[in-house]
Amino acid sequence: MANYKDIAPFINTRGNGLSRFFGYTGLCIGTLLLLSCLQFYIDINQLLKEKNPRQNGFDFISVTREITNQNMGRDNRFTAANLEEIRSAPGVDDAAALISNQFRAKVSAGNVIPFSTDIFLEAINNSFLDTLPPNFSWQPGQTNVPIILSADFLEMYNIFAPTQGLPQISGESAASLHVQLECFGISGMQGFRSQIVALSNRINSVLVPESFLVWANKQFGQSENAPFSRIYIKTRDANAPSLLKYLDEKNYHVNKEQTRFGRIKQVLQGIIAGLSGFAVLVIALAILLFAFYLKLLISRSRDNLQLLVIIGYEPGRLGSQVSRRWVPAYAIIVLIALAGAQFLHSLFRNAIAGGNEKLDPFISIYSFTLAFIIFLICVVINAFLLRKELRKL
Amino acid sequence: MYIQLNNIRPVYLEPEKITGSEIWNRHVKIEAGNFVEISASSGRGKSSLIHFIYGYKTDYSGSILLDDAKASQMDMRQTALLRSKKLSIVFQDLKLFNEATCMQNILVKNALTAYANEDQVNQMAERLGVKNKLNAIAGNCSYGERQRIAIIRALQQPFEYILLDEPFSHLDDQNREQAMFLIMEEAEKRKAGIILADLESSPSFPATERLKL
Repeated sequence: MANYKDIAPFINTRGNGLSRFFGYTGLCIGTLLLLSCLQFYIDINQLLKEKNPRQNGFDFISVTREITNQNMGRDNRFTAANLEEIRSAPGVDDAAALISNQFRAKVSAGNVIPFSTDIFLEAINNSFLDTLPPNFSWQPGQTNVPIILSADFLEMYNIFAPTQGLPQISGESAASLHVQLECFGISGMQGFRSQIVALSNRINSVLVPESFLVWANKQFGQSENAPFSRIYIKTRDANAPSLLKYLDEKNYHVNKEQTRFGRIKQVLQGIIAGLSGFAVLVIALAILLFAFYLKLLISRSRDNLQLLVIIGYEPGRLGSQVSRRWVPAYAIIVLIALAGAQFLHSLFRNAIAGGNEKLDPFISIYSFTLAFIIFLICVVINAFLLRKELRKL
Repeated sequence: MYIQLNNIRPVYLEPEKITGSEIWNRHVKIEAGNFVEISASSGRGKSSLIHFIYGYKTDYSGSILLDDAKASQMDMRQTALLRSKKLSIVFQDLKLFNEATCMQNILVKNALTAYANEDQVNQMAERLGVKNKLNAIAGNCSYGERQRIAIIRALQQPFEYILLDEPFSHLDDQNREQAMFLIMEEAEKRKAGIILADLESSPSFPATERLKL
């Protein structure tokens, strides 16, 4: 079967340069816009993932009771019944209570850092932890108690440490520090060797294994089923209106900080979706412009194309051959758009995200895939239109 | 390939031109590999008959069978296959690309069939006395030269029948003889038949069958 170069002398592709130029430019701009939207969406997700410890598609938010002048002084803690009710609330996938120590606890850093303070301890079901090292467990009789410390607490410590003449410590160093945990009860004091095994970005607390706190509350606090001040909710969307309405109705207080990034993300997603829609429209218009150009080309070369069919060329195959002429042009357009998207991504990474190392230096594989899909769509539509026009001959 | 004409007649031809014809409204079977001469004066539908067989026109009644396949019921793909593998043609109006060179006109057929190479094209052009015209724009050549280019183009493919519609009308006797000889030689190579439609019967054409239209 003949190649395009064999039939090229009989096809009039001259003229109409302006419509071709606008078609190519439109397609390039539309593709660039769409690729940039996708890349920006990926970048934002990557950046927010760092800020918002979302896990396996779930948000984890802490809920407390709103303290007002009216309920001040009362016991505003949650009961087991409250927990069950929250579990069945709209938009809630699971909920767990943060149980706290019902006894006095004190921590000291030993001789390395001359630091000693009373402390509160909390525990939660392991499935609610954003980081779970394998050694975060405790069995009765074990003298070593692992601790997961809030990353914010360490940051706070590092702010105040210099003014108190204490050394600042990094997250890695914190993990190597052994501290002394002392639990006081009516039967006396018991000391435990303790170590920070991880830092949590999700839960602002000093967390110990649930099994330890249940045991310690019974041992030192004489209390097994004490109410709890905080509940953690596992939800697919922390910004779901039905969930927020339920929490408002119950006067439950949600940590705004934990849902703020979700809200920012929602706004950004809206903007990106709008821009993507516009980009698709630009691409569609560019393809439409090409369709007009192809119609014109067929009509200009109609006599010659008819002659080719008369001497034995099959219109369908002729369409495929002619359409192959535009494959390099489409490939170049998509490559330019990819290069543009890479440039904008680098600009965003270096200038706006401050050279954030969490962002990959190169655009995502999804952007490449989308570029390839756009290229294929253009080629297929082009071939389809040409075949359709040529079959009319 | 055999060609069977079953009571065909052009829908536009006057009844008086049908009467007395050995083809119109008759049952005619042209066996494979025959040399058939069809002669008639102007306006009796010689070109129409050639176009009907080639599948270029379909405004006729009756039916044409090409090896059991009805010509009028072939789809685009089957028609294209027929035209590139089984049926070749020299049109009366030549149907050349007038803005292209003679060589391009010939090679465009070769590109489709990959039948002959450029050397073979040159040899044929030399035999027909148009080698020096191969790089000329077809539209600038005389009708006789273009007729010979159209004949060379028609030979750039395999065929079981070649349809010739007044192919030598603008050629002198010598050129006519050379062109006729080349066509017959190429047909014999392919064990193919020839259908020659002309104004008058030509004694130099060794026809196995002569029909009056």
